[in-house]
Amino acid sequence: MLLQYWPQKTDVRFMTLRLPALLFSVILIAASFGLIFTKGLNFGIDFAGGSVIEIEKPANVNEEDVRGILGGLGLGEVQVNAARGTGVEGIEVIVIRFATQDADGGDQEAAQQTANNSVRAALEDAFPGVNIRSSAAVGPKVSGELLRSGLIALGVALALMMLYISVRFQWQYALGAVAALFHDVIITMGMFALTQFEFNLSTIAALLTIVGYSMNDTVIVFDRVREEARKYKKLELGKVIDLAINQTLSRTLLTSGTTLLALFSIYIFGGTVLSGMSFALIFGVIIGTYSSIFVASALVLQLGIDRGDKPKREVVGFQGV
Amino acid sequence: MLNFPAWKVALICLVLLWGGLLALPNAFTDGFLGIEPRDTGATDPQSIAEYQQQMEEAEASWWPGVLPTSKVNLGLDLQGGVYLLTEIDPDEVAANRLETLQADIRDVLNSAPLITRDVPEQQGSTLPIRLRNPEQMDDALRRLRRINPTIGATGGEKIMSIEAQGNDLIMISVSQAARQALAADAQDKMIEIIRRRLDPDGVSEVSITPQGDTRIVIEAPGEADPRRIKDILSRAGRMTFNMADSSPSSIAAAESGLPRPGWELVQDENGISYLINRTPVVSGSDIATANQGYDPDDNSPAVDFRLTGSGAERFGRTTANNRGELFAIVLDGKVMSAPRINEPIWGGNVQITGNFTMQEAQDLAAIIEAGELPGKLGFIEERTVGPGLGADSIRAGTRASLIGLVLVAIFMIIAYGLIGSFAVGSLLANIILILGALSGLGATLTLPGIAGIILTIGMAVDANVIVFERIREEQRAGRSPNTAVIAGYERALSTILDANITTFIAAAILYMLGSGPVKGFAVTLAIGIVTSVFTAFVVTRWFTAMWLRLAKPRKLSI
Repeated sequence: MLLQYWPQKTDVRFMTLRLPALLFSVILIAASFGLIFTKGLNFGIDFAGGSVIEIEKPANVNEEDVRGILGGLGLGEVQVNAARGTGVEGIEVIVIRFATQDADGGDQEAAQQTANNSVRAALEDAFPGVNIRSSAAVGPKVSGELLRSGLIALGVALALMMLYISVRFQWQYALGAVAALFHDVIITMGMFALTQFEFNLSTIAALLTIVGYSMNDTVIVFDRVREEARKYKKLELGKVIDLAINQTLSRTLLTSGTTLLALFSIYIFGGTVLSGMSFALIFGVIIGTYSSIFVASALVLQLGIDRGDKPKREVVGFQGV
Repeated sequence: MLNFPAWKVALICLVLLWGGLLALPNAFTDGFLGIEPRDTGATDPQSIAEYQQQMEEAEASWWPGVLPTSKVNLGLDLQGGVYLLTEIDPDEVAANRLETLQADIRDVLNSAPLITRDVPEQQGSTLPIRLRNPEQMDDALRRLRRINPTIGATGGEKIMSIEAQGNDLIMISVSQAARQALAADAQDKMIEIIRRRLDPDGVSEVSITPQGDTRIVIEAPGEADPRRIKDILSRAGRMTFNMADSSPSSIAAAESGLPRPGWELVQDENGISYLINRTPVVSGSDIATANQGYDPDDNSPAVDFRLTGSGAERFGRTTANNRGELFAIVLDGKVMSAPRINEPIWGGNVQITGNFTMQEAQDLAAIIEAGELPGKLGFIEERTVGPGLGADSIRAGTRASLIGLVLVAIFMIIAYGLIGSFAVGSLLANIILILGALSGLGATLTLPGIAGIILTIGMAVDANVIVFERIREEQRAGRSPNTAVIAGYERALSTILDANITTFIAAAILYMLGSGPVKGFAVTLAIGIVTSVFTAFVVTRWFTAMWLRLAKPRKLSI
């Protein structure tokens, strides 16, 4: 069908753009670090601790009323925002947030739980029959652990990816691939710092998925590079890489296209709970596609590959069902 | 590559059929599948009507028993419920356990030949004892070691570590190893007590699971308010019957700091003070059963309980000897009730009345019957999703999945035409297999899990695309449709495996290190990767092979 009209052979000289691309990536990474350290990430309660309570907006009640009711509870600063809740109709909700409770050196964990109880009681008193849609209280101990295990998960994922690629390809590829992954993760985090979208457990899940996706993309290009480098032994490496990227270009665009279609449908229709996660994924897919060409492949070109020998390992023939 | 002998076809059909059968129950109600509704014990007319209707439906069901009936397990974020993470403090458990040994320690040091009468209060979980006569050190150590019990089974760790410091000081403490053993022991006991408190009739779906050595996860589906659970589990549940004295003169003496020796002041919920004897007549271990009952006077909810044989005997004797006196029923340092003994109470049946609601009386009965917690249970994380939000999330997730699926299908057919529709067919097979695998494995589907399925829908076509692009290239290089397809599949295999193994690694790590909803995401992502490789590489290939054989096209229009 339509794909027949896609040019039979594209011949984009991607590698000639690698210096401007490098500059672009370096600027993005620097900006991301800058944003992460100055503006900071907007940690959700998963990582910062604290409470979030969502209620259905009672008729004729506004945020100011809720703020007034909760102001006297001594919870420190309480944020009260109106929003649209998850759901097909998207009813109006009010979201209440407050930070980890100060217990004067006492038990902060217990104070956090008590605070949630008293907010529930105060809301029920003020608006009889109020629909409390969700509530969460995460104590400082748990939030610290969640952040730590999230970061460990990211680190372990990156290390295992590097190991896998080193086994399947030469080390230059592994380095290129992992550089691309760091690139994607840092810039996506920078994007979260810029937009101040909430950074929580789902965001870590999204980052890991981006790592998987970006790796997937990179491997497909590398697979081709390896194949063409073996076929055209005399062709210079930059041309080989361009050839491989061009050959896989329609696949790259198609897969990114379908994945983005699916992700946009989560972002638009999946409700507020999933919007942060799908935002990260959408951004990550785009940046991951870019990085497999301009970071991973460009770095392989810079490092050079060993083209004399046979590759270390050939895929063992696999008989399908 | 295009050769599909009968056994391969049979195998493919079998896998698809099996997946389909496992997924099928999700399309029907429980009643239709012949699953009888759970008796929740609810007594309001609406619940009873619902129960009866579901029961009738279940009885009328013709669903064959050999077919699977289990559905996808919905996570708490989708079905609504309370998640609580609780923690035991090992230091407190150690201190509590050491405290129970204090009476024995006093006894052995007090017996002839006397070593010391002066055993101080313990500080945390250490107890320093100074000897009057250093020559008695060996004797003291021997006596203390004799009363040092092991934790759990015989041969386990001893509770106390007893050390001589200098020539006249004995330091009793709880070693690190003993603390760990005590915490593990306490965790098991806690789980049992929590279960009996939250689910006294064994009918609710509440799940109580250990996490690590000191934590317990409580998940109560369908519960909308975490306060009730927190409240039931916050109480220590230490119940005693003590002789009491409420005469104004004794109370006044006690309030001025001079209570009768061995007695202490406690209050009831109205702030009335009683002086009670510290040594209880009956304690928690003497209580056999506790139930919610009714006060015969005004039919209001009350708590009835029955004592064990020895407890009833002791209580009977004490009441016979103390006619006209008061006794107090004390729960966690608060007087619940302080009746006057008019006649001896034999038989061991006791009732507490008060201004209880039905729920309070039931909860109190469960707390009393379950017994005392070995330590305080600290709540460190709470997540509650109301039923409304859960239902909304399911609707939003389902809608996003369907829209994503339709968009991807349209895209594939526009891009690749007929052969693209083969990929769409295998995409549908993929979704059925994911649902089948989730149902069959009893895995939990969470909202991020739904996102994982949608993401899989987008990425699943990747393997197809890789193959199709290869076929296009091969055809361009002048090969016939058959050889192009064969070459396309052969050359794409290693790429597909490499690409998917990396994503699978990410999903596996997420599963191991993630928690709750995120784990659900990892599960669907991992299952989706496996099923999508199967459907793309096997099912689409089979469709394509059949088509090539039947239509014998001269040229592939892709």
